[in-house]
Amino acid sequence: MSVTEQGLLERDKDTMTLNMGPSHPSTHGVFRIIMEMDGEIVKSTDPEIGYLHTGIEKTSENKRYVHVIPMTDRLDYLSPPSNNLAFCLTAEKLLQCEIPPRGNYLRVIMCELARLGSHLVWLATHALDIGAMTIFLYCWREREMILDLNEEISGVRMMTSYLRIGGVAFDSTPEWLANVRKFVDYFPSKIDEYERLLTHNPIWLDRTQGVGVMSREDAINWSLSGPALRASGVDMDFRKIRPYSGYENFKFDVPVGKNGDVYDRYLMRVEEMRQSREIIDQALNSLPDGPYKTQDNKISLPDRDTLHTSMEALIHHFKLVSEGVNVPAGETYVPIEGPRGEVGFYIVSDGSGIPYRAKMRAPSFMAIPGMCKMMEGCFIADVVAVIGSIDIVMGEVDR
Amino acid sequence: MTSEEIVEKLKSDMDGKILEATVTLGDAVVHVSPDALHEVAVFIKDDPDLKFDYLSYISGVDYLDQDREPRFEAVYEFHSIDHNHSIRLRVGLEEDDPTVPTVSDLWLGALFPERELFDMFGFNITGHPDLRRLIMPEAWEGHPLLRDYPLTTEDVTFSHNRDYKSDLVKSKPPTR
Repeated sequence: MSVTEQGLLERDKDTMTLNMGPSHPSTHGVFRIIMEMDGEIVKSTDPEIGYLHTGIEKTSENKRYVHVIPMTDRLDYLSPPSNNLAFCLTAEKLLQCEIPPRGNYLRVIMCELARLGSHLVWLATHALDIGAMTIFLYCWREREMILDLNEEISGVRMMTSYLRIGGVAFDSTPEWLANVRKFVDYFPSKIDEYERLLTHNPIWLDRTQGVGVMSREDAINWSLSGPALRASGVDMDFRKIRPYSGYENFKFDVPVGKNGDVYDRYLMRVEEMRQSREIIDQALNSLPDGPYKTQDNKISLPDRDTLHTSMEALIHHFKLVSEGVNVPAGETYVPIEGPRGEVGFYIVSDGSGIPYRAKMRAPSFMAIPGMCKMMEGCFIADVVAVIGSIDIVMGEVDR
Repeated sequence: MTSEEIVEKLKSDMDGKILEATVTLGDAVVHVSPDALHEVAVFIKDDPDLKFDYLSYISGVDYLDQDREPRFEAVYEFHSIDHNHSIRLRVGLEEDDPTVPTVSDLWLGALFPERELFDMFGFNITGHPDLRRLIMPEAWEGHPLLRDYPLTTEDVTFSHNRDYKSDLVKSKPPTR
C-alpha cells in the first residue's frame, strides 16, 4: 500500500523544508532539490538546476561545425559518441550527405560501446546510492576496458570526439577490432554476475519495487524518454521506429516494462546492455570494407597522402580547414536513441560554416520535472533511488 | 501518417488558424501565430489521426540579422507514440512583445522548457504556473541566447589591459 493510500499525507502537521545538494554524492553532479517533508515523506519538491551551465548552445553559435563536435562531448559526458552522432546526423541531413557503410558500422560500434559504458556507470552509482558497494567496483572494472578501447581508436579515454560530419575521424585497426571482439566475448558472463548480485536480492527488491512508480500516460505526458519511458510500458526506441545509421541491419530486442518503478528501470537497462552487446557482436561479424567517411571532399578532408599529388585535394583541404563545411540554409531535427533517451539537435543554418542556432534536446533535462513528480509521496530514503533510476547527467541538463 | 498527409490534414481542418504548412527535408513544419497556438495544440493532441501526445522539445530562435519578420520564433516538436510521426510548430513572435501562451496544460513536460525560453530569450509565457529563471541565477540581468547579448560580458578589472578588454566585450558576434 502506498503512503498516499494509507492517508499519511492527510495528517495536518507542520512540514519541514529539507535541502539536498547541489553537492550531494547521490545527485550525480550538481543538482539541488528543495523538499517539503512531512516526517519521512516527501510532500512537494522544487528542483534547481544551472550549477553546471557552460553556455554550450551560445558558444556553438560562434564556432564552426567541426569545432562544435568536441563541445557536444561535454554535454552527456558518459556517452560522447551519441551526442556526436545526433549533431552529425542533423548536419548531414541538411547537407544531404550519404555515409559509406563502414563509417556507419564504426559509428554504431562506438555508440553501443558508449551505451554499455554509460549503463555501467549508472549501475555502479545507482547500486552504491542504495547501498550495494560490491557492484560499484565490478562495474568500474568492465568500464575500464571500454575506456581502453576508446583510447585505442580515438586517442582519448572519455571525450572521444571520434565522429565527424561525413563519417568518422579514423579507420579502425585490426588490433582494435580484435580487442573489441575479446571484450564482447568476455562481457556476458559479467552481466550475469551483476544480475546474481542484484536481480533477486531481497534487499534490492525491497528498495526498488513499487518505488517511484509512473504510469504509462504520465510518463508520456511528462516527456520521459529512453529506459525510463520503456519501463512504464511504452515501446519507443528510435533505433527501431526510425532507424538511423543502419540500425535496421541489426537484430535486437527492445525491452519494455510494465510497472514503471525503479526496479523495472533497472531491468530495462540491464537487458539493454545484453542487446547492445548483441549489436556490437553482429557489427563486428559483418563489418564491411570500403571508405570510413564520405568521399565528397567538400564535406570531409581528403586523404593525407593525396595532398602531395593532387591540386584539388590541396584546395579542398585548405578550404575545409580555413572555412569549414558550409551547410545549406534550413532547419531540421533528427532524434536518435542515446543511453538516456531521445537525443537530438535542432539546427538552424543560414548557409555559412557556423550554426545559426544549435539547440540540444537533452533527455535528462526533459526528465527532471517528471522525476520530481515521482518523488512526491516517497520516503526520503527513496529519493536517491528515484534520482539514480532516471540516470540524469547534469552536463546535458545545464548545457 | 506521412509528413505530407499531416500537412494536408492541418491545411484542411485548421484552415485560417495556421499561417503556412510545408514539408521541408521530410519534416512536417507548420507556422502558427501566437494567438492560434493553443487551439492548434489542442487539435493536434486530441485528433485521433494525429494524436501528438509526446512533447520532444521547445526551442527559441532569435533571427536578429536575418532580414526577416518577426524577429523571434518559438519552435515546438511533437511526436506521436502510437502513430510514429512528428510535427514541428514554428511560432513567430514580435520583437516588442514576445508573448506566447503556455502548452504546459496539455503536455506537462513543457513546464521546464518554457521556463528555459523565458530565461534564455525573455519570452513571456502566459498561463505558465511558475515562470521563473531556470538555468541562470535569479538576479541575472539579460537573456543570454539573444543574438545581441555578447559572448563575453564580465569585465576583468586589470588596469593594464582594460582598454583592450572592453573592446572585446563590446564586439558583436563574429562576421559570418
